[in-house]
Amino acid sequence: MNQEHTGNDVLLEVHNISLSFGGVTAIEDVSFDIRTGEIRAIIGPNGAGKSSMLNVINGFYHPQQGSITYKGETRPQMKPHHAASHGIARTFQNIALFKGMSTLDNIMTGRNTVMTKNIIWQALYFGPALKEEREHREFVEHIIDFLEIQAIRKTPVGRLPYGMQKRVELGRALAAEPDLLLLDEPMAGMNVEEKEDMCRFVLDVNEEFGTTIALIEHDMGVVMDISDRVVVLDYGKKIADGTPDEVRANQDVVDAYLGVSHG
Amino acid sequence: MFYREAGQFKSSYNADQAILPIAQDRVFVIGVLAVAFAGVPWFIDSYWVNAIFLPFLAYALAALGLNLLTGYCGQVSLGTGGFMAVGAFATFKLITAFPELNLIIVVLLSGAVTAAVGVMFGLPSLRIKGFYLAVATLAAQFFLVWLFNKVGWFLNYSPTGQITMPSVEVFGVLVTGPRATPAARYLFCLSFVALFALAAKNIVRGRVGRSWMAIRDMDIAAELIGIRPLAAKLSAFAVSSFYIGMAGSLYFGVWLGSAEPIEAFGIEQSFLVLFMIIIGGLGSVLGSFLGAAFMTLMPIVLKNFMVDGLAVEVVTAKHVEITLMGVLIIFFLIVEPHGLARMWQILKEKLRLWPFPY
Repeated sequence: MNQEHTGNDVLLEVHNISLSFGGVTAIEDVSFDIRTGEIRAIIGPNGAGKSSMLNVINGFYHPQQGSITYKGETRPQMKPHHAASHGIARTFQNIALFKGMSTLDNIMTGRNTVMTKNIIWQALYFGPALKEEREHREFVEHIIDFLEIQAIRKTPVGRLPYGMQKRVELGRALAAEPDLLLLDEPMAGMNVEEKEDMCRFVLDVNEEFGTTIALIEHDMGVVMDISDRVVVLDYGKKIADGTPDEVRANQDVVDAYLGVSHG
Repeated sequence: MFYREAGQFKSSYNADQAILPIAQDRVFVIGVLAVAFAGVPWFIDSYWVNAIFLPFLAYALAALGLNLLTGYCGQVSLGTGGFMAVGAFATFKLITAFPELNLIIVVLLSGAVTAAVGVMFGLPSLRIKGFYLAVATLAAQFFLVWLFNKVGWFLNYSPTGQITMPSVEVFGVLVTGPRATPAARYLFCLSFVALFALAAKNIVRGRVGRSWMAIRDMDIAAELIGIRPLAAKLSAFAVSSFYIGMAGSLYFGVWLGSAEPIEAFGIEQSFLVLFMIIIGGLGSVLGSFLGAAFMTLMPIVLKNFMVDGLAVEVVTAKHVEITLMGVLIIFFLIVEPHGLARMWQILKEKLRLWPFPY
């Protein structure tokens, strides 16, 4: 539904990815692409391999087979650091914030890959290091404004309520100025209002910053509303791929996931 | 009542990111530094410098170093004594080989040597965590002390098995050896500690410090947002060992003057410094100082109180002192598991509202 700003050039493409842990196959021969500027949802029942797929895309898991083409470069697997420094950022299913640090520090940490001054300058906290710190602080303040979390800037994140932590985590991912943002269940465990807020942020990020988004979500209402295209996994295999309407009409999906009486 | 931040507005990010954003804190710290630099040297004598100030400063620097590694980066180390020995022996070898070299440079070089050794023993941290890492660093402790004791070259083939610091001048003032004045020794150590405490504070509030804390709090997430665990952990080991090496250098060179590897740098030192940061507060620069103060001053206070105040025999007093120290440590850990630094923070938060908490 946001077709007008969705280009047709492919940002990331996974080819025939297979991933197994010992004897357990998590992903089997899955291929799909993510186009620049779109919101791409990955859905499927629990254990379908959705999170594993995200972990493959940003290099945390190394698939046994297949390849990944990102920004025109094909490689058998990504490295976490390479993925992070080339514009892939993500949030986690179970919040993975740095609990001992403040909201501001957490989001600043997201800018680590673009900060360069060495430790000697930092020990002096003077000249280039100070300038760098100030510039990045300014950028982070824009994110804080965008996510409307000014009031909790200096609060240690461990003290924040769940919905706020999710928001800070999105902020940390945005701080890296990603080209591709991977969201692993951004609305899990939220109430309706928090979900609406989060949807608004996701759509705004997509529209204002032009960030491509791949998200995993269980709330079908949300998925069908905000995503441009949906890929459906079940038991590690891809069973459907297309626009929300196409997916909704697909009999395999209905059987496997949305639930149908087996009468 | 006096401790209020109301009305102190920040209009720039620099001001907001200052180490001490509250004016009263700034005044307090400047006051403490002024007394330490300009007041204390006037009345300091050799008892005060040998029994109180030098041990406090040397241990504070070591605790600061260990806190950077354990408190900020989350890597437990029991090798502190061994790393202090590296710093001490580096100082000894450098000063005997190049007597002309300025002691300031010698201390810095000793830190650098220790940093290199620390990185080497930090390599296992890339694979193992927690208690297992503690055991691996324990190997550093035993190996290094054994090495210095066994290989004559390190001791300059001294027949007594001791290393002794020669008298060295810095800018024309004696700071080591028996003829150095207490004030000179004190000021030399204090300058190092004050400067490097500031440097530590700057490092931990910048990019490197944030990457350490990220590794400490959630290493997988840190890796996925682009922090290299290798660089973060090894830089923590390097900086931490640099501090501990300098502490060892001051401990041996300026405070003790002569040392015997097994006695001066044993496992007790490693535990002592670890206790300091646990009691003082993990992940706090201030905590390192509070912990060092507690662990070095408390036994003296207890002993003086018992021997002079209650006329207890010295030997008995020693036993009671050890017991009491243990009890006090347990007491503080139960009352405030996050250490003295957290107590101080809570006190300040209370003070902001006092006497009208509504």
